[in-house]
Amino acid sequence: MSVPPLSVNPLFAVPFISALLPGAQALNPALLALFGARATEAYRDGQLKPDPLCFRSREDLFEWPEPAAANLRGEVLGAVCQAVMAASTLTEAEFDGLAVQARARFVVVRPNGALPAASVPLASWCALYCVAVPAPHPSRADSAAVRLYETRLANMFLDASNSQLRPPFAPGHQVWHPVPGEIAVFPASIMHEVALNRGDRDLVLVAARLRFAHPRMEALPPW
Amino acid sequence: MVSPPVPLALSPQFAVPFAVGRVPGCGPLNRELEALLLARENDQHRNPTPTHVPQLETFESRFDLFRWPEACIQELRRAMLTSVAQAVLQSSEITPEQLSRLTLHNHTWFHVSRYAGSFVAHNHPLASWSAVYCVRAGESVSEHPDSGVLRFFDTRPGADAYLDATNRRLRAPFAVRPLEFHLEEGQIVIFPSYVFHEVAPFYGRDARITVATNCWFT
Repeated sequence: MSVPPLSVNPLFAVPFISALLPGAQALNPALLALFGARATEAYRDGQLKPDPLCFRSREDLFEWPEPAAANLRGEVLGAVCQAVMAASTLTEAEFDGLAVQARARFVVVRPNGALPAASVPLASWCALYCVAVPAPHPSRADSAAVRLYETRLANMFLDASNSQLRPPFAPGHQVWHPVPGEIAVFPASIMHEVALNRGDRDLVLVAARLRFAHPRMEALPPW
Repeated sequence: MVSPPVPLALSPQFAVPFAVGRVPGCGPLNRELEALLLARENDQHRNPTPTHVPQLETFESRFDLFRWPEACIQELRRAMLTSVAQAVLQSSEITPEQLSRLTLHNHTWFHVSRYAGSFVAHNHPLASWSAVYCVRAGESVSEHPDSGVLRFFDTRPGADAYLDATNRRLRAPFAVRPLEFHLEEGQIVIFPSYVFHEVAPFYGRDARITVATNCWFT
């Protein structure tokens, strides 16, 4: 029996982009100092449930006047714009005509803390930037990892042939291990969480949501 | 001129059946279950082929719990599987006679969660109905209101991506948000197996004990 040549392709794919920010080495110590001083009740997002093991600031970080915050904003927006360009069919000229809108907060996940799963409304892209991580846990691979939830909810019927599909076809959550200076960009619709931090130091992230307005676009609802 | 309002019929569609109940007089049963399950929280009874990365803080047993002969297990088996059957009857067009001709299969196991134990979001392929029974809720911790919460994710992914002033505050059952249970002893929750759910980190100083079952009918 002859076997015809097959073309196996990933369809319905979700773009996930990670990159090291060029200015991270200088940026992170300043951010750590700034966030360390502001992980207080005065800066906490009062709309979210308080959690002694997970601090979430208000979503106004990109409006802070401090140079570190302004530099961070520039670096994050630059990386996200590159990511969007890489994943979309927009030409550079078309992209230049868009106005980016972004909000960001900082998140401190303390030892034994976790960040519950959520997607990000009113945005097209989510970016997570890593400022500091605990040391990798020797036996807990998902400690303080960002877990992105499976979007293909069609795993209910499994048999011997589809229960061991190879990547990227195998269903299941995906994990990103934050590295200081690295940014991850993915669609804002993707549910994501930070798994429990089993380390002995804090995980410090910046979480941003972004959207791009076309000049002829109707007004977007406020954040 | 303003027209009079058109009479509207507002109804929930694409609804997911959830059945919640409490086993009456469950105190003595739960004490027996607790003693038995804690005594068997060991390697002999541990699930040898976990589908998710096992955690030290959350023990998962083999899936044969309802085959144990102990009276308390068999009493729980009757209570849970009868409840599943009731949920099927109440949410489907199957008659009791039709249901009685079907065979109910189950995989059933127990979890013991200790400090910082949790269970990642998952659903249960190859089953139609799942249920969770609470043997022991564990210590509630005021500073961690979500401790040990059984959280079901909304089955309408993306439905909250575009929010304005009107759809941001939809009332139940239309609001798009996860469904959370702070389980109480003796409480049973029955749901379709396709619904993704997780257990949030448990921060009590004692143990949280639950029994879970996946059911299917042939």
